[in-house]
Amino acid sequence: MKGEFSMQSVRTLFRLDLKSRYGVTNTDKTAWKQKLGHVANAIFFLLVYAVLIVGIYYLTNVFVTRSGLRIEFLVIVATFTICLATIIATGSVIKNLYQNGDNEMLLRFPVSGKEILVAKSIYCYLHNFVVCLLLMLPFYISFGVITNAAVGDYFAYIGIVLFSTLIPFFIANILAVPVMKVMNAVKNQFLLILIITIIVVCLVFILYLVSLSNVLTYLKDSKQSIFSADMIARYRKFAKYAYPFNWYAEIVNGMKYGGLSAGKYALRFLYLILINAALGVAAYFVTTREYYKTILYGIETQKASFKKKIKDVRRPVGYALFRREFYLILRSFNYSFQYFAMACAAPVMVFFCNRLAASMGTESIGAGIMPGLTLMVIVIFITIIVSFASTCISREGSSFYHTKVIPVSYTNQILVKFILYSLTGTISVALCCALSGGYYTSDAGKHLLTPLDSGAIFGIAEMLVISLTCLSMIADIKSPTFNVSGDGELVSANKNVALAMIVGIVVAIAYGLFAMIFSFLPLTIGSVTIIQRGDMNRIYLILSIVSIVLLAGSLAGLFVNLNKRYQKIIP
Amino acid sequence: MLKVENLVKKYPKSDRLAVDNISFELRPGEIFGFLGQNGAGKSTTIKCLTGILPFDSGTITICGHDIVKEPIKAKMEMGYVPDNHSVYERLTGREYVNYVADLYKVPALVRTERIDRYAKLFKLENAIDRQIKSYSHGMKQKICIIAALIHDPKLWVLDEPMMGLDPQSTAEIISYMREHCAKGNTVFFSSHNLDLVKKLCHRVAIVNDGHLIDVIDLAGNEANKANLEETFFKVTGTYEQRLFEDYIAQESADMRPDMPIEHKETQSDEELVVEETENKGDEQ
Repeated sequence: MKGEFSMQSVRTLFRLDLKSRYGVTNTDKTAWKQKLGHVANAIFFLLVYAVLIVGIYYLTNVFVTRSGLRIEFLVIVATFTICLATIIATGSVIKNLYQNGDNEMLLRFPVSGKEILVAKSIYCYLHNFVVCLLLMLPFYISFGVITNAAVGDYFAYIGIVLFSTLIPFFIANILAVPVMKVMNAVKNQFLLILIITIIVVCLVFILYLVSLSNVLTYLKDSKQSIFSADMIARYRKFAKYAYPFNWYAEIVNGMKYGGLSAGKYALRFLYLILINAALGVAAYFVTTREYYKTILYGIETQKASFKKKIKDVRRPVGYALFRREFYLILRSFNYSFQYFAMACAAPVMVFFCNRLAASMGTESIGAGIMPGLTLMVIVIFITIIVSFASTCISREGSSFYHTKVIPVSYTNQILVKFILYSLTGTISVALCCALSGGYYTSDAGKHLLTPLDSGAIFGIAEMLVISLTCLSMIADIKSPTFNVSGDGELVSANKNVALAMIVGIVVAIAYGLFAMIFSFLPLTIGSVTIIQRGDMNRIYLILSIVSIVLLAGSLAGLFVNLNKRYQKIIP
Repeated sequence: MLKVENLVKKYPKSDRLAVDNISFELRPGEIFGFLGQNGAGKSTTIKCLTGILPFDSGTITICGHDIVKEPIKAKMEMGYVPDNHSVYERLTGREYVNYVADLYKVPALVRTERIDRYAKLFKLENAIDRQIKSYSHGMKQKICIIAALIHDPKLWVLDEPMMGLDPQSTAEIISYMREHCAKGNTVFFSSHNLDLVKKLCHRVAIVNDGHLIDVIDLAGNEANKANLEETFFKVTGTYEQRLFEDYIAQESADMRPDMPIEHKETQSDEELVVEETENKGDEQ
C-alpha cells in the first residue's frame, strides 16, 4: 500500500468518524428527542444485560458448584466468548473497513490508504474491546464470586480479558478479506443468499432455544444435576484438547488452583503471546496488502449489477404492481431478510419457541394455557414480519413521485401492497398453525391442542395479521420517512417500525394473557358469568369478536379517505 | 391540450405562495418552454400539473380531464420526465419500461417496437437489459424519457430534461420533441437554457417569485426571439446593463481567457513568494 503516513491525519480521520457516528446533529428542537431515545435505548440494554448476567451466574453455578467442572467451564467460556467476539469483530471489520460508504469520500481527501486503515482500525479495535469486556467479564466475575476468588484474582481476570481482545481482532482482519471476496462473488445471487439466510437464522434460533431449554430445566429443579456421566466425560475431553482456549482457561484458573508448576504456567503465557504475535503479524500483512485493493475494488464494483433478458409481455396492472413490489424486496438483501427470511423462518421459530414455553408453562400451570401460549407466540412472530409493512411508502424513496404520476388509483396501489404483505403473513401463520397444531394434536405433542384450538388460533391470528398490516401501513402513509441511499434502501430504522412492533407485541400479550388466564379462571362481572372455567369456546368467541372489530376498524382506517391522505404525502 | 387556470400553491409551514395565481394554456402541436430562476416556481407548477403535489386552488385540465376530478384519465394522456430522474434501480431497464407500459396498458407488440426504437435512438441497446443501478446519470435520464414515451403521450412534460446529458443525446431529444409535436402532440418543458428555448419553442412562459410574468410568442416572431434574453433578465429583476452585455458578448464571442505568462523554469518557489509579496506591497 502506497502513500505517506501522518498521525495527525489519523487523529483527524478518527475524530471525524466518531463525530459522524455519535455526534448530535439535530437542531435544538429535536436534540432532546434524540437524547431521550439514547437514554431509553441505554435503559433497555442495561435491563437485557442484567438478565443475561443472572443467567450467566446460574450457568456458572451449574458447571462449577453442582457438576465440579471448574476448568472445563473456563475452557468452554474462553472458546465461546473468543469465537463469538471473533464473529462480531469480523462483521464490524467488514462493515467499517470495507463496506462503509465513506471510503470513496475519504479517498478524495489528501490522506493515504494507510491512514484511513489505521483510523478505522482504531475504531474497530475499540468496538471489539468493548464487546469483549461485555462478553467475558460477567463469566469471569461470576466464576470469581462462586469460587470465592481472592481480590488479586479479579485483577488477573481483567488482565486476561484485555489480553483476549487481541485474538478476535487479528483473526477478524485476516478473515475479512476472503469473506469480502465471497460476498462479492455472490453479490447478485438473491435467491441463494435468501435460502442460506433462512437456514442460518433457523439453526441459530434452534441452537439458542435448545441451550435456553437446558438452562431452564436446571432452574426448574436446581437439586437435579443436569449433566450425565457421559456428558461430563465429553466436557473433560473437549477441555483437554481445545487449544489454545484451554491455555487461557488454565491461566484464569491460576497456579494455586490449577496445580500447574510456575514453569508450565509461564509456558502457557509464552504460547499465547507467540500465537497473538503470529496472528498480529499475519493480520498486518494481509490487511496492509489487501485493504487498499479491496476498497478500490468495492468502489469500482459498487454498481455491479446483473443482466437479465426478458420478453416484453403485457401484464394486468395489479399484477405489474405486485411483481415490481416483490422484485424490489427480493433484490435487496436487507429487505428480503426482514421480510421473506423472517416469514419463512417463523414457523420453525414458533414451533421451537412454543415447545420450550409449553414444557415450562404446562408443567407449572397446566395444559389449559397451551392455546393462549401458542396464540401469543404466533402473534409475536407475525408482528416482526408484518412490521415490514410500516415502511411501505418510505421504501419508495426518491421514486415516490412515480406513484403519483402513474394512471393507477392510490387505492389500487395500496391494495396491491396490502395483498402482498398480508399474503406472506397469512402463509406464515398457516404454516405456524399447521406445524404447531399438527404436533400438539398428536400423541407426540400429548394432545395439548385440539383441532378446534388450531382452527381458532389460525382464524384469530389471521385477523390480527390483516389488522396489524393495515395499522402498519396507516402509520407510514401518515408519516413516511424518505431517507434512502444507494439504490433506494432505507438508511436507518424507521420510527414506524418501532411503533408497529410495540402495537403488535401489546396485542399479542393481551390476547395471549386473556386466553391463558381465563383457561383456568372464570370471568364474572357482577352475578353474570361471562366465561366459565376452562370454557375455551367462549374465550375464542370473545377474542374473535374483538378481532373482527379490530379488523373492520383497521381496514376502514386504511382505505377510507385514502386518496385524500395519500395526496397529502409530499416527497 | 393543457389548461392551467388560477393555480395557487402554498407549501405547508411556508409563509409565501410557491405558485401565485398562474394561468396558461398549451395548444396541440406546440413546444412550450417554461423559464424562471431557481426557486421561481417552475418545478412546483410542473409537480402540480402531473399530480405529484396537491394545490390550494385553481384548475388543471389535461386533454379535457381535470387532474383532481379525473386523475387517472388525465395521467393516461401525459408522460413525465422528472428532474431527479429517480427510478427503481433494482429493476433492469427493460423491466422498468415494461412495468410502466403495463400501467399505461400498452400492447405487447407496440411496446416491443417502441422499446427497441427508443433504445436505439438513445444508444441504450447494450444497457437496457442491465439493472438500472449500474446506469450513469445520463443513462437514467434516458430510461426515464423512454418510460415517459412508451405510451406515446399527447402531453409530454419534462423538468429540466437536458441536465447531465451528452450533446448527442441532447440533440436526439430535441429531434424527438420536434417529431412528437409534428404528430399533433404537445411538449412542455422547463429549462435554464435560453438559447435552446429560443430555438426550439413556439412559446415560452417566464415565471418569477411564483407569478407568471409573461407568455412570449417565439414562432415567427423574430423580435421576441432576439429580445428573449433581455426580457428574461428584466422580468426576473436580474437585469444589469453590464451583466447583460457580458451575457450577449459571451453568446457570440470566444470566452477563453488569456493564458497567464509562463514563469521561468529556473525560478524557485521561494523567489515566487518573494515576488508575490513585493507585488502586494506595491499595490498597497
